[in-house]
Amino acid sequence: MREVKYAEAVRAALEAEMAADESVVVMGEEVAALGGVFTVTQGLLDRFGDDRVLDSPISEAGVVGFAIGAAAEGMRPVVEIMFSDFVLLALDQIINLGAKIRYMSNGQFSVPLTIRMPGGGGTNHGPQHSQSLESLFAHVPGLVVAMPSNVSDAYWMLRHAIRSDDPVIFLESKNLYFRTSGDIDARTGPDGFGARVARPGGDVTVVSAGRMVERCVLAADELAAEGVACEVIDLRYLWPLDTASIEASLRRTGKLAVVSEAVEFCGWGGEVAAWAGEHCFESLDGPVVRVGAERVPIPYGHALEDEIVPTTDRIAGELRKLAIY
Amino acid sequence: MTQTAANPHSPADVFTGLPVGEAGLAEAHALYRGMTVVRAVELEIEKMHRLGRMSGSFHSSLGQEAAAVGVCAALRDGDMVTSTHRGHGHALAKGVPMEGVFAELFGRTSGVSGGRGGSMHLHDRPSGFLGENAIVAGGLPWAAGAAWARRRRGGDDIAVAFIGDGGFAQGVTHETLLLARFWASPCLIVCENNGLAHSMPSDRLFGAPGSIARIVEGTGMHARYVDGRDVVAVAETAREMVARVRAGTPAFLECGVYRVRPHSLSDPDYRYRPKSAGPDWLALNDPIANLRTRLEAHAANRVARIDAEVAAEVEAARDRAEAAERPPAAAAKSFVYTSPELQNHA
Repeated sequence: MREVKYAEAVRAALEAEMAADESVVVMGEEVAALGGVFTVTQGLLDRFGDDRVLDSPISEAGVVGFAIGAAAEGMRPVVEIMFSDFVLLALDQIINLGAKIRYMSNGQFSVPLTIRMPGGGGTNHGPQHSQSLESLFAHVPGLVVAMPSNVSDAYWMLRHAIRSDDPVIFLESKNLYFRTSGDIDARTGPDGFGARVARPGGDVTVVSAGRMVERCVLAADELAAEGVACEVIDLRYLWPLDTASIEASLRRTGKLAVVSEAVEFCGWGGEVAAWAGEHCFESLDGPVVRVGAERVPIPYGHALEDEIVPTTDRIAGELRKLAIY
Repeated sequence: MTQTAANPHSPADVFTGLPVGEAGLAEAHALYRGMTVVRAVELEIEKMHRLGRMSGSFHSSLGQEAAAVGVCAALRDGDMVTSTHRGHGHALAKGVPMEGVFAELFGRTSGVSGGRGGSMHLHDRPSGFLGENAIVAGGLPWAAGAAWARRRRGGDDIAVAFIGDGGFAQGVTHETLLLARFWASPCLIVCENNGLAHSMPSDRLFGAPGSIARIVEGTGMHARYVDGRDVVAVAETAREMVARVRAGTPAFLECGVYRVRPHSLSDPDYRYRPKSAGPDWLALNDPIANLRTRLEAHAANRVARIDAEVAAEVEAARDRAEAAERPPAAAAKSFVYTSPELQNHA
């Protein structure tokens, strides 16, 4: 397959699932004629028509609730939230309804719904367009939280999400949309919910997800030059959390760092750290290190953002300290 | 909108005549039975709480029965309904089995939601009762989306979303009013204006009954007001609206009713209205008593027989429900996810 950009991979996944299943519909702000503010849905209107690609009013709660209702009656809607920050307007529908219908109804309903949203920083969009809210969703029973870090995962994980019979929060990285390209792995279908090893190594385990995986790999490259082999594990899903992959790596390395774009305090990195402390205590040769965003809004300019969101330098520095143990 | 809004707070004989002919009388008796079922079940639930045999919260729709029963009388079995925290009447009127409702409130496995939902989470797909929703107006977009999906997949089923006057203040209500029109969802939104959003008088927010329908009419949606003390009028109006919705356009019905009971079992409503407000209103406006009086003029025995049958039915359903099994511990963690892989992980 030809090399594609991350945004194109997302679009290719939408096209593939829409072609395969008529119950897949795309809804969201500016998704039809405009093709999405990040061009992800470009061309879908022409190919699939306006009864499958639906421009919505600027009504996140209403649209998500509507899509939940449609999903519970057998449709497979894919809702695009323009920036992940805007999903906060729809949290009641997601958390109180979409994530709970199945449970509350004793299994009478399923909600095969995908909510796609570009999150994170790196595009100078300022504090209300740059948050990393994944920890919040990972906390909610009933949801799947997907965070693809690369082109191939963006494609296959989205296809997996759309086929899922459960609601999936699909967090894309807008920083990666046009900056990252690559090949889409040739597979016959999506694989499971497992993590992947982004870079093998035997000295330190580095667990990350989404946009930070790239920085972890770069930091690992720096440390490799210094003789420290870091194994970078790309979780791909924050829930379900692939603890088996973390454990397998940690048993070999004895050292664990968790790197998140999300705010470190009360974030998913703390969950991984606590899990490792409880389940892999005897394998640990040093403190579990968290490297996450400061508990500060994400500022506009790169110079300021780099003070808040983990940079390759900061990650490498923390890994160096950990490697000494 | 052609009707003049009647204030359901003030006593007045607003009742239209009974439907004519034997078929009309049969329908009026069916409406009477439907309201009697709702009243009897809810009174029984109150009693169970008083006796400590049920726990948690309960929101009574006493006095509002005509809205639920009148609207649902205009629906077919395949039509869908979403409801509110005050939704027992809607559930029963849509055909949810009374025993399943009781069992749910007793927390039993045989409850419609397996005993894990309780009073505010009745769900019964076979009856078309998609569910209550404890978040005010939270179920409205569900109904709109469900109706839209059903229409796309063929057939002409519709959905009714019940909300209250309190729910009309929610943003998602206004978003859904717009979306339902924009995406042509065949749904009927029924706003039961019961005069009080918890302690907030509806007229302080919206003005006199009928004002909510006028606001909606201003958005371009077909909207009407009906006096919810008259179940016959509600059913007639609902039939007109349902026909319009079934043809493919959403509509809005404001139903003037009154919340006789406190907001919930634990609500000290004497802090915001006279203690006698509920009972006084009921004494003059009770939709059940008023229909009863009119029906008795035709055939007293028939009404008395319905009362006796319903009372026996309620007692038997409550007994069976209470005697049913409690869910096993493992049930607490089931049905979080549909996918077996994810469910096993949960």
